Amino acid sequence: MSWAAIVFTFALVDNVVLSRLLGLPAAGQPGARPTPADHAADDPSIPDSLTSARSLPPGGREGARAAAVPAWWLGASMTVLMSISAVGAWLVNAWVLAPLGFTILRTPVMVFLVAGLALALQALARRVVPSMANRPEVSVPRLGVNCVALGLVLVTTRAEYGPLQSLLAGAAAGAGYYLVSAMMGAIRERLDIEQVPPALRGLPLQLITAGLMAYAFMAFDRAFLARLLGA
Amino acid sequence: MTDAGSGPIRPAAMREAPAVLLLLGFLPSVVVAVRVVDALWMAAGVLLVSIGSAVARSLLDWSSGSPGASTVGQTARWLRALVVSSLLTAAFEAALLAVAPAASAALGIYAPLVAVNLLAVGTDAASPRPLRAALGALHKGAWYAAGLVVVAFAREVLGAGTITLFPAGGFGGTIVVSALLDQPVRALGLAGGGLLCMGYLAAAVRAVSARKTGRST
Repeated sequence: MSWAAIVFTFALVDNVVLSRLLGLPAAGQPGARPTPADHAADDPSIPDSLTSARSLPPGGREGARAAAVPAWWLGASMTVLMSISAVGAWLVNAWVLAPLGFTILRTPVMVFLVAGLALALQALARRVVPSMANRPEVSVPRLGVNCVALGLVLVTTRAEYGPLQSLLAGAAAGAGYYLVSAMMGAIRERLDIEQVPPALRGLPLQLITAGLMAYAFMAFDRAFLARLLGA
Repeated sequence: MTDAGSGPIRPAAMREAPAVLLLLGFLPSVVVAVRVVDALWMAAGVLLVSIGSAVARSLLDWSSGSPGASTVGQTARWLRALVVSSLLTAAFEAALLAVAPAASAALGIYAPLVAVNLLAVGTDAASPRPLRAALGALHKGAWYAAGLVVVAFAREVLGAGTITLFPAGGFGGTIVVSALLDQPVRALGLAGGGLLCMGYLAAAVRAVSARKTGRST
């Protein structure tokens, strides 16, 4: 697979969120931007019809924005974690598991590889960007044990990608995760101020939104991209 | 990593309802829940790993002299759950490959992800008694499995007009829903269809819960 094809495949065609369903950024994943609906969900005394107006945190919507985790930070964390995890998985698989014939232990080894790299990344981030890394809602280890990073590692390992291909796939998947995260966050902000049936408010509506976005992303077809790239 | 940052992953949106926690926990499994039979295999894996993990953690507590795990920190509990569930998942993968290679191929990368899915559902302390721990895990895993099978059932019936089960005796393994076979909603078989099914299922669960709460008050 060419470099461009890997980028387009992992960022758009086989998006980790919308095609592989390895996570749902705006549906309560760590780091998701807090919205009025999150605060309203904890307060049963607020009538459903008033939640969007009355459940804002101190400082109103601007206060919520100030307290929110920047989407770029979440996207950057995921991109770095997935890139180094993919390369690390190639190293472990090609140099340790395959030569020794221990491929049956691939799952536990990969789980610990991703969790260990996430812990190391968290420690590094605490030194470099302490203001961001010390926020519990963007804990990198939590991101590490989510299915997104582990799923990508399993995909690249099973496809027998080389080290550079794995790195590129990880970076592209991270970019795809950030793209969907930002899009879903923007849609969620708009939906929070709309009148919707109480049963659909919050997570159900986010899932339905993600489903419709997944259909929209089907426009990024492999054949279409191949012709676009002249491959 | 601090203890506070290593517990079960339960952000604000998950506090809306216990069902939501389960829904987010099995989100990746929904990709393979296109046919009922695949959902049943996945559900079997989740149940086996969940029960095995709970019993193993209970026995580890008992052998270390700290039954109830109240003295074990959250970080240690989280790491222990990771070790146990990932090893059990590897065993499930190997067993599935030996017993049903076709099902193993259908589940693909999603069978190994059971280890991580269970962490999303929670790594709470197991009961000090193995039997009670097994029953607790069975209860939690059964809800997970039931949700997965319901999603798969809806997607397969509406999306393909069939219900695929295990072949036995003279039964070929596939029930045809003739009313839907000619014009199925094929889009439900795609990943987006899984998300739509889950969204409407979550809304239905919430509506029923709200109605029950309204009746009781």
